[in-house]
Amino acid sequence: MKTARLGSTLAIAAMTVAAAGAAWSLGSVVQTVTSPYLRALAVGLGTALISSSVLLPIAWSFDRNMQQLRSYLAGLMEDTDDEDSASFEGARWLRPLVHSCTALVDHWRQRTAQAEARSREIEIRHRISEADRKHTEAILHSLRDAVLVTDSFNEVMMANEAAGELLGFNAAEAGHQPVDRLLDDEVLLGLIKDTREVSNLGARKHVEHVIGEDTENPRTFEVTLSCLPGGDDRVAGVVTILHDISRDKEISALKTDFVSKASHELRTPLSSIRAYIEMLLDGEATDEDSRREFYEIIQNEANRLARLIDSMLNISRMEAGIIQVERTEVDFVEVADEILEVMHPQADEKKISLNRKSGPEKFVAEADRDMMYQVMLNLVSNAIKYTPEGGRITITIENDEAARSVLVTVADTGLGIPPDAIDKLFQKFYRIENYKRVAKGTGLGLNLVKHIVETVHSGQIGVKSKLGMGSKFWFSIPYTYMGADATRRDSREAKGKFNVRINAQSAGS
Amino acid sequence: MSGSTRKVLVVDDEAHIVQVVSLKLRNAGYTVLTAEDGEEAYEVVCAEHPDLVITDFQMPYMTGLELCTAMFENPECADIPVFLLTARGHAIDEESLSRTNIQEVLSKPFSPRAILESVDNILNNGGDGENTRAEAA
Repeated sequence: MKTARLGSTLAIAAMTVAAAGAAWSLGSVVQTVTSPYLRALAVGLGTALISSSVLLPIAWSFDRNMQQLRSYLAGLMEDTDDEDSASFEGARWLRPLVHSCTALVDHWRQRTAQAEARSREIEIRHRISEADRKHTEAILHSLRDAVLVTDSFNEVMMANEAAGELLGFNAAEAGHQPVDRLLDDEVLLGLIKDTREVSNLGARKHVEHVIGEDTENPRTFEVTLSCLPGGDDRVAGVVTILHDISRDKEISALKTDFVSKASHELRTPLSSIRAYIEMLLDGEATDEDSRREFYEIIQNEANRLARLIDSMLNISRMEAGIIQVERTEVDFVEVADEILEVMHPQADEKKISLNRKSGPEKFVAEADRDMMYQVMLNLVSNAIKYTPEGGRITITIENDEAARSVLVTVADTGLGIPPDAIDKLFQKFYRIENYKRVAKGTGLGLNLVKHIVETVHSGQIGVKSKLGMGSKFWFSIPYTYMGADATRRDSREAKGKFNVRINAQSAGS
Repeated sequence: MSGSTRKVLVVDDEAHIVQVVSLKLRNAGYTVLTAEDGEEAYEVVCAEHPDLVITDFQMPYMTGLELCTAMFENPECADIPVFLLTARGHAIDEESLSRTNIQEVLSKPFSPRAILESVDNILNNGGDGENTRAEAA
């Protein structure tokens, strides 16, 4: 390269000398020419010759330098780390320009790298926030509470599936739709509007609201409304959450009903006890016999009260799943025979025949013996109560191989049960109004029996009856207990023992 | 004790209650009639015209309140005063009461002594005179 540069410099010098020589000889020629035209022509030619011989080499040199510069710049632009490829070998006077260009390219290269790094970071952040958004959305959609978010233009920003289901719109397509077009619930729309227009951003409103009031299945919701804060202390939207409290309401109504019925049932024996004690204190019982009668009444009513409390406790313990269950192999024939023995005096009093029917085989199931005793005692005692004199009661024990359970049936020839009472028969405190005079009872016996059979033993219970002809109560207990044992669950709550108060006089309370 | 000729009808499906109230009133010198339910009571009222009826509220066939309304609608026995015994905690609404001649609502558990006192009061003050309606909680 250096030789080439030297060569071109020499060539330029030689040509310059040649041109100078030519110009000098041309000058002398011109002076010899006398014609002015020829002279002018000669001067023109001479000038052209001189200028071309001087300028052409300069132009060539410039062009070469430009090419060098161009290829150098092209090398710079190529994204390569090879430092050697980026050296400039052109003319010295171009060096400052080349330095500036190099610095400029470096600067922009750095800038580009920074921008790329920032863009990657933004991309990552975007992905994270997108993932977060999807998680949040998934959480909102998995909620059973209905969530509806509306913006300041009263359009839906977000609604979860529960909201769509409850309020009757497609949650996936609800976005950006005016909420008053999606809902026709004026009360709810009013609540959302009021919340949006409220000035206090931190305000949170809880309102009870019934949906489907005029339908068969109205549901009560606790509606929570809160503001979605915008940038400048303004309300950007409203978050509406609807939580179904129908079940809570139902339970609390049931509890209230239970308490009122229970207190009524408790007051009746208490009423007798208090009245008779007062009579004794006031000396109203004048002879020993009537005093004795009063004491007995007080004792019986106190027993009734105790049985009632036991039944209520047993039922509530079973419902709460905290009763102690002692499962053993229970021989149902053995239990039935015990019941027959206990109940015979009562049956004999009404001239009722009381029998057991069963095959020679074993009838054994895994159950709590005391509870099985209680169930049979209740059913037989009820049968005696509601069977007129001279009737017949039969306890049948069978093995139901198909259902892998022991089936016990207590059939009587009694009054029978009115069809409209059958469904309510196993409810707490239910008593057939017109039979109240026939026999005493609390209305808890059959409910207790149902709980023992179904809740504790995963068995089944039922009744068939024909008014005036008699009733057939049956229950079945699986040979082996299979169900999830709620009653044995490890609970820190105090467990209660099942209480059986055996009183043959009024066993079926 | 006065009122030996006064007749009181005691109505309750709980035999013990009938027994205890009857004994208390009999010992005090009243003539006591008894009935087990509203229907039976209404028949006794029509046949015997007692001076006072003491009835339970909750009974089969016909409640105490229904008995009182039926009596009030029958001109022959509309002016017979009634005591209503109830084990229910809830008060009976004014409107139902206004269509009866219930003079007092007594809640269970009750005191035979207190019942006798009320009976003495109403029957010895003329009974059909002032309506001293007192509602027990």
